[in-house]
This record gives sequence, C-alpha cells and structure tokens, in this order.
Amino acid sequence: MHGWIGTILRVNLTTGSVSREPLDPAMAKAYIGARGLGTKVLFDEVDARVDPLAPENKLIFVSGPLTGTYAPSGGRYEVVTKGALTGAIAAANSGGTWGPALKYAGYDLVILEGKAAHPVYLWIKDGAAELRNATHLWGKTVPDTTDAVRAETDEDAKVACIGPAGEHQVLFACIMNDMHRSAGRSGVGAVMGSKNLKAIAVVGGGTVTCADTDAFASAVMQVREKILAHPVGGTGLRLYGTDVLVNILNQIGGHPTRNFQDGYFPTADKIGGESLSAKVLQRPKGCFACIISCGRVTKVSHPKYAGEGEGPEYETAWGFGSDCGVDDLDAVTKANYYCNEYGLDTITMGATVACAMELYERGLITPKDTGGLALEFGNAEAMVEATRLTAQGDGFGQKLALGSYRLAAAYGHPELSMTVKKQEMPAYDPRAIQGIGLNYATANCGAAHVRGYTISPEVLGTPIKVNKDAIEGKPELVIQFQNLTAALDASGACLFTTFGIGADELAALLSAATGVEYSTADFLKCGDRIWNLERLFNLKAGLNAKDDSLPPRILEEPLKSGASKGSVSRFPEMLPTYYQLRGWDAAGVPTPAKLQALGLVAERAVSGSLA
Amino acid sequence: MKIRYFATLRDVTHKTEEDCAPGAVTVGDLLRDLVGRYGHTFEQLVLENGKLRFALVLVNGQDVREQQGLQTPLAPDDTVVMIPPVGGG
Repeated sequence: MHGWIGTILRVNLTTGSVSREPLDPAMAKAYIGARGLGTKVLFDEVDARVDPLAPENKLIFVSGPLTGTYAPSGGRYEVVTKGALTGAIAAANSGGTWGPALKYAGYDLVILEGKAAHPVYLWIKDGAAELRNATHLWGKTVPDTTDAVRAETDEDAKVACIGPAGEHQVLFACIMNDMHRSAGRSGVGAVMGSKNLKAIAVVGGGTVTCADTDAFASAVMQVREKILAHPVGGTGLRLYGTDVLVNILNQIGGHPTRNFQDGYFPTADKIGGESLSAKVLQRPKGCFACIISCGRVTKVSHPKYAGEGEGPEYETAWGFGSDCGVDDLDAVTKANYYCNEYGLDTITMGATVACAMELYERGLITPKDTGGLALEFGNAEAMVEATRLTAQGDGFGQKLALGSYRLAAAYGHPELSMTVKKQEMPAYDPRAIQGIGLNYATANCGAAHVRGYTISPEVLGTPIKVNKDAIEGKPELVIQFQNLTAALDASGACLFTTFGIGADELAALLSAATGVEYSTADFLKCGDRIWNLERLFNLKAGLNAKDDSLPPRILEEPLKSGASKGSVSRFPEMLPTYYQLRGWDAAGVPTPAKLQALGLVAERAVSGSLA
Repeated sequence: MKIRYFATLRDVTHKTEEDCAPGAVTVGDLLRDLVGRYGHTFEQLVLENGKLRFALVLVNGQDVREQQGLQTPLAPDDTVVMIPPVGGG
C-alpha cells in the first residue's frame, strides 16, 4: 500500500500479547485513516454501551495516509475511544511528531484492549513491539515520564503518555506527546489510565511511500503556495498564535466571560496574543512538516508563576482567563503548564473552574467545600490553585476532576454547567455566532469547535464572509464544515491548512499519496460516512436527540454587554433542518436510505432497531 | 471617533488606539486617511486590491463586510476596530 503502511498493531494488555494484522484496503479507502479508521474499528469491536473505564473499552491510536509524508502540516494522529467524560465517541487529535514516528516504526494504528495487571508502557521499534514494566514511572509528570522512557529505550523515541491526572482517571485527562502536544478532549487520558498504560514510545527508520511521487510533489507545491499566500496560514498564525483570537472574539461580543454569563470581557487584551507576544513568548514552534508554526514556546518570569513550556492557545487563555474573570497572563500560562505537566484538557479544566466559581459566588458551594479556597471570579491565585489541586488529585480537586457537569449536578444545579454531552463548550459564544452553536450541539464528541469550525466564515470571513447572526443557511454550512473536517482529520493533515486550501486540494494530495482516486465528492462523502458512523455509535451507546442541545443559559439568557448584547442562540430553529439535510429522521436517526447511500448497510444492521 | 488597533496594526501605527478627527464620512474615507498617515504597510494589512477581504473592520462591533463595506457610514461618536487577517482555532 502507498500512503498507508498497511499494518495494524494489536496489543492485549490483559494477556500481554502483541500481534500484527494487515490493514484491509477496502476499509482504508472508505474511512481514509486517523479519525475515520479509528471510528470504524471502535464501532466494529466495542460494545457502545460499555463503561468507558472498563477493560472492554478499547483505545486506538491511529495515523492518516498523509501523516509522515511531506504534505504541509501532515503530522497529525488521532486517539479514538469511548470518552470517559462524555460516554460518547471520542476522537482526540494531536500534532507534534508522534504520529509520523508510528508510521516510520511500521504501523498505521495501534489497538489497545483489556487492562494490564500493573502499570506498563509499550515500546515499538522498527516493527518490534513489547510491553515493559512502568511501575517506576507511575506518578511521574509528562516531562519526567518522557525523559525516563527515552533513557530506557532510545533517545530519539517519540513518547505519548499520560501524567498523574490520567492515572487518577480525572475524567478530562488527556494524552500528551512530544511533552507539549495533546490529544486533548473527552477524557482519552482517563481511558489510558484505566488500562494501566503509562506511555507508548515509538521509533523507526521506515518511510511512507507515495503512489505517484511526481503528482504528490506537484500537489504539495501547490498546497504550500496557497497556504503561505493566505494571510492567516502564511503569517497571522505564526506571528501571534491562536491566542490572537481573544481580542477578535471580544470585540464582536462572542468571547464567553465568567462561565458564559456574558460575551465581553473588558480587560481581555491583557491575555490576548498581542500581550502574549510581548510578555511570555520565546519563539513560535511548528509540528512535523509544519509551515504554519502556531505553537508558542513561552516562559513566565513572575516568581509566583515562574515556569517554562508551551502555550497558551486561544482556548486555554480563554478558559483560565476570561471564563474565570482572570486577566493575569502569567497565572493563565502557569495553569496551562500544570495541565501539560499533569496531563489535563485545558478547555474542560478552565471551564470547570469557571463553573465552580459561579457555584461559589451563588453560595451553592462554600469555603468548607473548597478547603478554604476563595473561588471568586477574577481570583487568579485561586484559579491556579484549583488547577493544581485537580492535577495532583488533592482536596477539592477531586470534585473538579469530574468536570463541570457532574460537579454542578452534585450541588443540584446542572444547568450551570456549560456543556454539551457533558463536554465543556469552547471559547466562542453561540449567542453571538449562530452556526457554531449548531455545531456544538450536534458534534458527536460533545461540544467542540474543531468538529465544524464555522468561525472561519462567520467571524474571520474565510473563505467567504457569512452573517454570524443569521440562521438562514447555517445548517448547510455546519454540515459542510463537519464533513470536510471529518475527512481532513482522517487524512492526517492539520485543520489549519484549511486557511488556504479546501477539499479539492486535500483530495488531490490523498489521491497522489495513496493511488486511490479520490474526487472532491468522494473525499467529502468519506467525511459524511465517518460522521454518520460516529452518530450510530452514539445512538448505540444510548445517546439520542435530547443530547443534541445547548445549555439553557445559551437559549434563554441574552448577552448582557458588548457588540452582541441582547442575543440568544436560535439553535432550536436550526436543528430540524439540520436533521433533514443530514438524511436523518425527526429523532436524529440516520434513515435507511442515508445509510445505504454511504455504504453503511452492515453497520445499520448491527445497530438493530435504531435505523 | 475612536479607532482601536490590534495585532500587527499596533506595530505599524505604534498605537493601541487613537481619537480621530471626525472628517471621515465613510469607512473608505477613514481608510484613505489612515493609509496616508501610516503608509503602504498599513494598506497591505487592511486592503486587498483596494477592497476589504480578510481584515476585520468593525464599527461599534459590527463587521462592515455585513453592512456597506467601504461605503459604511461613520458618525463622530463611533468606535472603529481594525484587525488585520489573523485567525486560529
């Protein structure tokens, strides 16, 4: 095979067995790779009703055909499992260099099943794979684990691992690779911790071959020129990182503030990309084969929050910043460092602290609950301490470790959790930007901006500007972006390449790499197929149309200040059209005709009465 | 009229915001005035072939691309926000 390596590594952690299997070319063609192939394997092999933290759940690390090629920013991989936070399908995407290394070591994907009797790590080198004792690594942070595993294996090994948060099964623990990149959302790190798997280290001298090297080289050159010519992909992201969005979203009144109680934070500029560049930035950093370099290598000198690392991204600056009413960039960056070192999703962590702050200010939790921590909006020290407590599993941190939905529900007010499918909404207020709310509500993994980033047309005006306040045409727009993103994720390319290229160029890259002729329509149909199979998994898991929702605050409480003052989300008006255009019935179930059109007849059959 | 600058426009203007004489009647008038003051680099960051495309120009928080573009009228007490093409996710 070209593009794909053609080999699966299966590891049974219960028995310690390791085996190799061929990758089915037909399955690879239909699901492309990464998020697509991972979804197919999870759907076929895991009972969707399983407890996410039970040995019967599986954890799948999977690359795409473009991963490890020299396609621009083609270094992504995906972790697919049933999410610990959500109980829905989880597909957490990460960059860095780990994904390419997996392919150079001889595998497209690794399927981990069962549970080890004691902590272990997986060592893969040039096709050979073995489980090693990791008892001595248990309790170590991400940087310490990475260094220790490299010392024991190969100094060039690429390491994906969990920190103590994953070991404690914090429900929003992430998996870190290359120390600072994360497969962040839905609690994939908790699933890894439940399996007693501390790390996967990979190294290999293999290559990824392309079916048509001339066509691939030509496609790469064209794509590269288009990305670099676009003002966002070419220069904007490198100069300021994603955190530049703080001021943009704030100025349009769509920057969620104090647990989404408002959409405008008056002092947001202090935590925006411009301030980050002036105060803590050391240098930009890119992932494998990246020509964009949105990453931020940073250093905080303030004695109280001193440290070095990477970040914050926009979502992180918002979560620990505006959403907590905090405008101290040093404190925000320190909280980011804790998350990276202990292995926590920064979005859910920040939003959970924000939710706790609202519970505290309403008197629903007290200093007795928090161990004396004054969780008031704007209290930067309390925000950082709450993050540390969660990371280290101490005191009130054990309750924060459940995420905002279970926290708020435990105190009798689940409506104060700003979640969809128990996953926290990111940093774009659906009251100010109508399409993103529909995307949050319908995203199979729970609220996520990177499932259908309609912010590009609704706010940034790329590829074209659409009215952010309108609902007309938004179901079509959201579906288009969701399908494109599913196919892009499956390819192994970075989402940020879409600041410059679209489905045409991605299909051309894939065709040249794999030798499978993907038209633009074929490529988008793969995205539609992946989306619908994710949906079938969720329906089997017990989720239904009621889970396609937004928090009551977003539907009922108008924004109080800023440029979008007075707005609420009109999501309920859009959902029926969304279902209809998706080819789903009024209950949000894919119709037989839709599944047949996508070649999901067999999957429909095992879904029983659902479709 | 207050003008607020973000990202690289701060480097070009050496300002985060400024008050502007209320002579400009439209966004286009204002941009011509600012290009005259800050030069070709400013123009490159905001306009593409003389048109607004990826840069954000907000008048009282509303994107002028959803209004009348360069013909969007201005009033003396308006706040104009200017952001060159940047993005993220």
